[in-house]
Parts: sequence; C-alpha cells; structure tokens
Amino acid sequence: MKNNLSERRAERRWTQADLAAALGVSRQTVISIEREKFDPSLPLAFLIARTFDCTIEDIFTAE
Amino acid sequence: MSKASFTSKRAPAHHYVLAIILGVILTVVVSVLVGASNPDDFWLAAGIGALCAAYPAMSLGGKVFVSNHTVTRDPRGEQSVELQWMRQAGAGAFLDVLVAIVVASLVLAIGRFDIDALPVLLGLVALSVVDAGLRYVVIRHRALK
Repeated sequence: MKNNLSERRAERRWTQADLAAALGVSRQTVISIEREKFDPSLPLAFLIARTFDCTIEDIFTAE
Repeated sequence: MSKASFTSKRAPAHHYVLAIILGVILTVVVSVLVGASNPDDFWLAAGIGALCAAYPAMSLGGKVFVSNHTVTRDPRGEQSVELQWMRQAGAGAFLDVLVAIVVASLVLAIGRFDIDALPVLLGLVALSVVDAGLRYVVIRHRALK
C-alpha cells in the first residue's frame, strides 16, 4: 500500500519517534510503514487515521 | 507472541523469596540428575549441572513469581514490525532445519553411517538458533536500509 504518512508527520513537525510514541509502537514500525515495506494491521491503520484526524483512505491507498 | 514492557513496580518481598526457592529446588534436582547419570564423577557432574541449571532455574522462578508484578504486556506489541520480522525469521529457520534434517537423514541412510544422536540434536538446536537470529538481522537490515 502507498501512503503519505511521512508528509502528514512532517506537517505536524513530528519526528518518527514522536509518532511512534503517539501510536504506541516502535520507531522501526513507523520507518517501515513510511517506506511502504510494512502494511499496518487494521487496528493500527485506524489508530494512525485517528491520530491525524482523517480517514484511513486519506493516508493509505491501494497500489 | 507479543512484546512486553518493564514497569517500575516491584513484586511483594515474599514473591522474590519464592522465586529463589523454586530456582534452588530446580537447580538441585537438575544437578542430582546430572550427577546420577555420571556416578564415577558424581560431584563434578552435579556441580557442572548446577552451574548450567542455576540461571535458567532462577529465571523460571522469576517468571512464575515476579514477572506478573514487574512486566506488563505491550498492548500494541502485536502491531509492531518486529513481530513480522520475528515470524519471517522463525518460518525461514524452520524450513532450513527441515531441509537440513531431510538431507542429513538421506546421507545417513545412504551412507549407512552410525553416529550418536546427541551431537546431531545439539547441532540442530544450534542451527535453528543461529539461523533464526541471522535471518532476523538480515530482514531488519533490508527493511531499514
């Protein structure tokens, strides 16, 4: 899946560690999602969307 | 399989005592068994058995009586990428061990070799541990580079 997580994170001036702490996951998880090497689980995708006040489709799109 | 986090809490004092008692009992049992299997050098064998068993036995005691108070389950551990890496490494190592067993069995059957089982089993344990560890490192490196 493609995603715009890094852009959204940059808009908020968050580091990857900040986002990882907000999501309760490791920084490696955030890095892997941003590099599109790891598709998050549905609960984590919902949590990411809730963190950025948007829907899952706003962040993740099918390739 | 999930991640765990240490807390700042401490277990009640008597739980630490119980953990040590369980560890000592298990260590003594293992050392007596090892000593009994080598009656000619009972005390040497029992001592080596005790040295080998002490750490895992104490760890088991800690796990049973202390960890419930000092370690909490990471609620989102299942969602971290490390779990996927571990699963991939474990699955790959399992297949490698399976192939190694098949190949070794063929070689032993065709060559009609007669060897002790213990070194072979220890070799398989070492292979699985090293294989899974190396695979994890490689998968992690590829994902983060």
